[in-house]
Amino acid sequence: MSSPGTYDLIRYAQRKHRAFTEVVETLDESKFHFSAKDNLCAEGFQARAGSAVLDGYSPPFDATAIKRLKMGGGQLVGKTTMDEFGFGTFSVNSAHGIPLNPFDLERSCGGSSGGAGAAACLIPGHVALGVSTGGSISGPASFCGVVGLSPTYGRVSRYGLIDYGNSLDKVGLLSRSSDLVWRHFRTMAGPDPKDPTSCAQPTLPEKGIMPTSLAVPKEALANIDPAVGKAFQQAISKFQDLGVQVKEVSMPSLRYALPAYYILATSEASTNLARYCGMRFGRMEEDLNQHFNDFFTGIRSQSFGDEAKRRILLGTFCRMVGFRSRYYLKSLAVRQMLIEEYRRIFQEHQAVLTPTMPFLPPLFEEIGRMKPLEMYGADFLTVPPNLTGMPHISLPCAYVEGLPVGMQLVADHWQEMDLLEAASVWEGAFPYRFPEVVL
Amino acid sequence: MKIGLEMHFQLPTKSKLFCSCPTSAAEPNHNVCPVCLGYPGSRPSLNRKALEVGVSIARFMDCKIEEKVWFSRKTYFYPDLVKNFQITQYESPLGTDGHFDLNGRRIGIWRVHLEEDPGRIKRVGRSGEEIAFVDYNRSGIPLVEIVTAPDLQSPEEARAFIDQLVIELRSLCGLEAQDEQTVRADANISVGEERVEIKNVQGLKNVERALKFEATRQSKMLAAGKKIVRETRRFDEERKVTMPAREKETEEDYGYIGEPDLGEFRIGEMARSMDLKETPLARARRLVEAHGISEATAKQLVLTSLSLTDLFEELCRSVPTEKAVTWTMGPISSNWAVLQTHPDIRSEITAIVRDDAEGRITDNEAKRRILTLAGVAQEEAQEGDADLGRLIADFVDAHPEVLADYRKNSKAANTVIGHVMKESKGRYSSKEVVEEVRKELDKMV
Repeated sequence: MSSPGTYDLIRYAQRKHRAFTEVVETLDESKFHFSAKDNLCAEGFQARAGSAVLDGYSPPFDATAIKRLKMGGGQLVGKTTMDEFGFGTFSVNSAHGIPLNPFDLERSCGGSSGGAGAAACLIPGHVALGVSTGGSISGPASFCGVVGLSPTYGRVSRYGLIDYGNSLDKVGLLSRSSDLVWRHFRTMAGPDPKDPTSCAQPTLPEKGIMPTSLAVPKEALANIDPAVGKAFQQAISKFQDLGVQVKEVSMPSLRYALPAYYILATSEASTNLARYCGMRFGRMEEDLNQHFNDFFTGIRSQSFGDEAKRRILLGTFCRMVGFRSRYYLKSLAVRQMLIEEYRRIFQEHQAVLTPTMPFLPPLFEEIGRMKPLEMYGADFLTVPPNLTGMPHISLPCAYVEGLPVGMQLVADHWQEMDLLEAASVWEGAFPYRFPEVVL
Repeated sequence: MKIGLEMHFQLPTKSKLFCSCPTSAAEPNHNVCPVCLGYPGSRPSLNRKALEVGVSIARFMDCKIEEKVWFSRKTYFYPDLVKNFQITQYESPLGTDGHFDLNGRRIGIWRVHLEEDPGRIKRVGRSGEEIAFVDYNRSGIPLVEIVTAPDLQSPEEARAFIDQLVIELRSLCGLEAQDEQTVRADANISVGEERVEIKNVQGLKNVERALKFEATRQSKMLAAGKKIVRETRRFDEERKVTMPAREKETEEDYGYIGEPDLGEFRIGEMARSMDLKETPLARARRLVEAHGISEATAKQLVLTSLSLTDLFEELCRSVPTEKAVTWTMGPISSNWAVLQTHPDIRSEITAIVRDDAEGRITDNEAKRRILTLAGVAQEEAQEGDADLGRLIADFVDAHPEVLADYRKNSKAANTVIGHVMKESKGRYSSKEVVEEVRKELDKMV
């Protein structure tokens, strides 16, 4: 039996694993194929960001990242499933299908770029555009056993990205190999006048430098599933075998990252989501003959999922007069403090190494029993580099009970090429495994 | 009485504040794009020109200008506000703590900042069955907001303030779209202790009317021993009264956060390196001081034309101020529309007026030359001249004894002068007539 064709795999990933919300009718074989998370705008597709409130929104423009990949010879083959507006760690908060893990259909792909993780894993040669706000690329990369790069904040234009937290959102890539990520990341990166925050970046170097010394913060290893902890220790040994120094360090500020992140992200999100009110785009079927307040409330109550409502409430609360300085402004200070703590580490080491997720890809029934705070807590290793805007990459580092375990490397601002260099070296020593697809 | 104003002026830019849509008039919802419609995925990028104009206004008001500024999101829900938040400046305005000189009084300026305009709602149909249309052409138009201290003391003064401010800003940065009808202002007024805010009054006259109504209302209440409640009111243009706004009484919580998409802008250096044009009223104040002319004359001069004022200042360098005033405000001013199109007009006129001031030519001759320069008035000038000569000749013909008298005593000319003055009904200045009569008589004797 010949190996399945790419289009068959795309349809399989859509049907069996719910990786895609929409796919193209035909493939252009002269081009490379990429997908985009559904919060990235592209002509010819809806952009619904996992939310029912955006049903029917067909943006009249391409996101810059998509435009550049198209110009670089790519075909956008589909949009991938995600948590509503990126609000989630397991992609279960989705109005357009919950993606199922490529290694085990009973388990989560991670979130919020869950569909992207599944697509990257199931389709060889495929490159999936993901978006990370607090770990939404690293998480799915770890659970789906692929490489996931979240670049420095401001490295890739956010034009055409449906915002979650504008000061945190980063467009990145997931794929089976660091080589693919490297190639397409170079195409996407660079200043774009349509996103002023992308215009202050230094030039991307051709090639990175392999880190010679990695720091492992001891705070990151508390509250880790023992199976993940053991796998991570083996990865450390392997790095040492490769001649890389690995040293334990202390980063006491890491514990403040999670609350600061959730305050900033939800504050920004609650203003970003204000525009969804049943006018101008997206869902609009409401009765027009009513006061605008009732009209807005009606469509928002019906269309937003519980997690979106929870984050709007949280963010609105944090922005209120009297609470602003206690929460929002204080979180800005925490972000600055954490940047300084990382910088201190980067004086001696080129990257910080941790596991990516604290546990193996969970079963959906386990997720069903988790409280919102436990879910937020699952991001404690991915949130710090996101809060500080530092580039990070998640790489498969072990397989436990047939499930992938991921590790995460964090580098200083603008050093993503060093991370890709490390990934390339790692891949030479640690072959990745992918589930066999039987159509 | 204390009055403070918050005014909004549209900045004279070709494109909107955060996108490249034109600011010109158009069919409803034609000057729009994903950015100014707030489409998901779109994002703002700042119009540099708007920032520069805003900074120039802050500097003109002598505001304190920070090195860097940023923008904020002001969140509230309204159908004309595409993102349901407005991008404005909150913690970080362009300028603070400035002032504006109003007829010799210093009016404090609390802050100057930039913000985007929302769309416009138009209601059509009978009350109760009305349909609301929203036009987003205005969405994203750049506005500057100027907030004064409560230093204004009467509705008339508030009106004069806006009036003069508009004159200055129009010249400073060409606020073309701005006129007396389109000024939008919120006005705070307190006759006693408590202040009342009148929201969203459009037009200079309405600001004055609303304040007058409110001043009377508050005075009457105080006189009747009633308490004034702190509230927001609106002005009904039809009935010319203020009434409580339907909004909640408590101040709305806008939940301000920084606008993360725009970043910071370094305006300190921009402000320092800016060359500010001298504005008309500031120039009038300088003319009063430098040349001792009256305030009324100075204002009339600068408001007639700035190029005429340039000419005046040039004349002042070569002739006595009095002469400069007489000529500038006289025949030059009334023919300035034509004269100013003339190449090299300043040196031509300066030469004429200097010749006149130094006695090389008569006033009449000077005037004739100026009118000749103006072109259209040339024939009239010659005719007028001839007319004066003819009046003299006719009189001498009829009264030949005058010539004989004049030979003995030059005072005899007065008879002729008196007659000509009477006949010419003030068309000529006495000086012109005296000179012309002497000239003619001297020729005849």
